[in-house]
Amino acid sequence: MSIETTELTKHYGETRAVDGISLTLPDEVRVVVLIGPSGGGKSTLLRLLGSLEAPSSGSITRNGRVLPVTEEGRLEIRRRNGFLFQSFNLFPHLSALENIVLPLVRVHGRSRDEATARAREVVARFGMEDHVTKMPGELSGGQQQRIALARAMAHEPDLLLLDEPTSALDPEKKAEVLDIVAELCEAGQRIILSTHEMGFARACADEAIFLADGRVVESGRGSALFEAPRTEALRAFLGRVMKW
Amino acid sequence: MKNAVSLLVSVVLTATFCFVIWVVATHDYRWEAIAPYRWNLLSGWWVTLQISSASLVGSVLLGVLLTAGQLSGHAIPSLLCRVFVEVIRGTPLLTQILIGYYLIANAVGWDSRFGVGLVILSCFSGAYLSEIFRAGVESIPRSQWLSAKAIGLTPAQTYRHVVIPQAVRRVLPASAGQFANLIKDSSLLFVISMHEFTMQAREANSNTYATFEAYLPLVLGYFLLTFPISLLSRHLENRFRYEH
Repeated sequence: MSIETTELTKHYGETRAVDGISLTLPDEVRVVVLIGPSGGGKSTLLRLLGSLEAPSSGSITRNGRVLPVTEEGRLEIRRRNGFLFQSFNLFPHLSALENIVLPLVRVHGRSRDEATARAREVVARFGMEDHVTKMPGELSGGQQQRIALARAMAHEPDLLLLDEPTSALDPEKKAEVLDIVAELCEAGQRIILSTHEMGFARACADEAIFLADGRVVESGRGSALFEAPRTEALRAFLGRVMKW
Repeated sequence: MKNAVSLLVSVVLTATFCFVIWVVATHDYRWEAIAPYRWNLLSGWWVTLQISSASLVGSVLLGVLLTAGQLSGHAIPSLLCRVFVEVIRGTPLLTQILIGYYLIANAVGWDSRFGVGLVILSCFSGAYLSEIFRAGVESIPRSQWLSAKAIGLTPAQTYRHVVIPQAVRRVLPASAGQFANLIKDSSLLFVISMHEFTMQAREANSNTYATFEAYLPLVLGYFLLTFPISLLSRHLENRFRYEH
């Protein structure tokens, strides 16, 4: 799948969260990592790429096809994506298993038995099989995020978008979740994620993009961005986040 | 300090309760005066039960409609529902009953006291319920809507599977309170000569001057109607409990 954006812009009132971003991500780029300061536009870009929001102007192309901006059109695209949020956002009134089964049945038209079997399979892969009957409130942050990842993954999405998936977790739980994401990357899953985990970004990125003030400041293949930053802004950013 | 306060509160409450029981129990009653009216009181209780049950159903339906109208996102229905709710909540029920029956129902030639009473009580209670329901829906965090959107649910599915199940639990206590109010408010239908429970007690009193003997059965009668609602609400709250 190739992804291109042309002069992509998103305003919220006077704020330009994404300010004219043009990207070309060819098919062989499977894992894209967005880095940069908070408020730099990472989350907004992910939401635009995931069709959660419509751009104010500009367009996104997937495999040469321009993505629709109507609500119905974006709904269709969203159904082929998986999206993971920083704060898990599980449904608190449904058990861990039901959180995964709900979209499989209601969105992807699977039968309940089929959906349950599939949910159990994904949960087992993520090492959560002992927790399926628990409610989200009974799970730790790391466990909730693994269930949320299972929910985003269970329908085998074309594209998985992860918005700072480990920012709300302590270091040990971060590792649990990042191990799974790394495993997905190795298995060839197409992923775009934003993160502050530079070690992880460096190890897994096919392409890394540094965003600040809603613009792409610098981008590069593999770990090039981390080894030889070209701009002062990226050097300063890396200096700050890698200091400790 | 906390213990002292709770001890004081317990003592005051117990003392007040004992005093009330003592006063009520030691009064010199003339039950024989009211005895001939016992079937009238019973039939009044039955009318109150009927009109309250019917209005309860009516007010829930209307409350849901008014909530849907206000949250529809369409300016005109939203405004109309808002105006309706404000007018009903801002004016006395007594006036609404008088205008509803003697002006409006009279003008269209509708003479059913029960029918008119049902409509007015449903409107009155429905307006209050719609505010409770609206607050319940609006109390569901944005992150839940976003999450539902991300997994590809339509807005209707989001209400059905994510928002309403969580909102129901939150609006149960306030709704139960409103249902109890509705039952007690039905006593105002005496102004259109509806022979409900309170009206029968008033008649018995004016014929016998046995005031306490006529009105005390109201305590038991109304409590028998409102207490099951309170119990049911508690039961449902526990059934829908998911926070830990």
